[in-house]
Amino acid sequence: MNIGKIVVGLAVVGTTIWGFLAPPAQGFMHEDLARILFWHLPYAFITVIFLFAGAWQSIKVLRSAGQPTVDFRAEAANELAMLFALITMVTGILFSKAQWNAWWSWDPRQTSFLFVLLILFAYFALRAGISDRVKRAVNSAAYCIAALLPILFLIFVLPRLPQVQSLHPSNTIAGGGLKGDYWYVVLANFVLFTFIAHWLYTMRVKVSHLEWDRENRDARMDDGGHGAATGVVRPLSLSDEN
Amino acid sequence: MESSSWSSEILSVLRKEFVSEMRQKSGLLTAGLFAVVSVVAVAFASFGNKLTAGFASGLIWVTVLFTAVVAIPRVFLLEEEQGTGDMLRLSARPHAVFWGKGLFAFAQLLAGAAVTSLLFFILTSVALYGVGIYVLGLAGGCAALAGAVTLCGALVAQAANRAVLAGAIALPLLLPLIALGVAGMRTALEPDGAQGGVEAVLGLWSYAAAVWAIGPHLFAAVWKR
Repeated sequence: MNIGKIVVGLAVVGTTIWGFLAPPAQGFMHEDLARILFWHLPYAFITVIFLFAGAWQSIKVLRSAGQPTVDFRAEAANELAMLFALITMVTGILFSKAQWNAWWSWDPRQTSFLFVLLILFAYFALRAGISDRVKRAVNSAAYCIAALLPILFLIFVLPRLPQVQSLHPSNTIAGGGLKGDYWYVVLANFVLFTFIAHWLYTMRVKVSHLEWDRENRDARMDDGGHGAATGVVRPLSLSDEN
Repeated sequence: MESSSWSSEILSVLRKEFVSEMRQKSGLLTAGLFAVVSVVAVAFASFGNKLTAGFASGLIWVTVLFTAVVAIPRVFLLEEEQGTGDMLRLSARPHAVFWGKGLFAFAQLLAGAAVTSLLFFILTSVALYGVGIYVLGLAGGCAALAGAVTLCGALVAQAANRAVLAGAIALPLLLPLIALGVAGMRTALEPDGAQGGVEAVLGLWSYAAAVWAIGPHLFAAVWKR
C-alpha cells in the first residue's frame, strides 16, 4: 500500500471524527442525526460534477466519431455519477425518515434526484442494448447530451420554482447558514471525496482500457493469425453430411 | 445527385411517412386504440368520483405520455425492420429526416391528444375553464414529446430489444415535461385559474424549442453510422 492511500484513509477517519465532534445542529428533530449532512451534501455536489463531466466527455465522443478511449471516460464519469447519486439518495432517505418521519416525501429535490437516477439507468440500459462498440459509444453519447437538458431543469430549475415547496433547507445553505465546524467539515469532505472520486474515475478508465486490450487479444487468438488474410478456403462436401 | 432544398427534403420525408402510414394503418390503429383504452381505463378506475384538477391533469398527461412512447419510436424501428433505412440515408440529409419524421410524430401526437382529451372530458365530467392554456400547453407538450421520442427511436433503432428499450430510455427524459404539463393543465381545470399556467406553457414550449434545436444535431451524429 503506498503512502497516498494511507494519507487518504487517515483523512477519511479524521473528517469522520471531526464531524462527530461538531456540536449538534439546531432546528432539527434529531439534532445528532443532522450530521448526515456532512456526507449527503458533498455527495450531491460530486454527482453533479460527474454528470457534467459525463456530458463533456460525451461531446468529445461525438467529435471523435466514437473513439473507444474517449468513450471509456464518458462511461466512467456516468458510472461515478450514478454511484454518488445512489449514495446521496440513500443518505437522503435515511435522513428523511428521521427528520420528516417518512422514507419518501415527494420533496422536489428528492424527486429530482430520483429522475436523474432514472436517466442514468436509461443511459446504461441503452449501452447494454447495443453490441457494436462504436455505435454504442456514439448513441449513448447522444443520449447523454440530450439528457443534459432535463438534468439541468431537474437539478437547478424545478426545486427553485416559486410554486414548488421544498422541505430541503436550500436557503439556509445558499444564504450562508452553514457556519463553523459544519461548514468546514462539509468543505473538507467535499474536497476529500472529490479526490477519491477522481481516483476511482481514473481506475475505472484504466480497467476499461485493460478490458479492451484483452478483448482485442482474445479476438486475435480466436483468429489464430490464420484468418481471411491467408486466403485459404477449405472445400466442404455437402453430400457427406447426409 | 440533384440538389434539393431543406424544405423539399423535409416535406418529402413527411409525405413518405404519411403515405406509408396510410398504406398500413397499423401504427395509427395501435396508437389510437392504446390512447382510447387508456382513457377508458383511467375513467373507469375513477368509478364516477369527482376528480380534482391536479389528479385529472396528471391522468391526462400520463395517457398522452404512454401513447407517445408506444407510437412514436415506430417511425425508426420500422425502417430497420423493413430494411429501408439505408435507402433513406442515401435519399435525404439527416437533419431533414429528423424534421420530417418528427413533424409526422407531432401531427400524430396532436391528433391522439385531441381524441384523448375529448374522451376524457366526456367520460369523467371534468370541466375545462382555461381552453387557451389547455390547448397551448398540450400542443407544446406534444411538440417536445415528438422531438424527444423521435430522437430516442433513432438511438435504439439498431439495438437489441429495441421496441421496449425505446420507451424505457425516452420516459426518464420526459418526466420533467410531465411536471410542467401537469402544472399548466391544472390551472386550466380550476375555475379560479390558479397562477403559474402561462409560465408552465412557456416552459413547455421552451423545452420543445430546446429539444428541436439540439435533436437534429444529435440525430445527425448517429444516423449515418
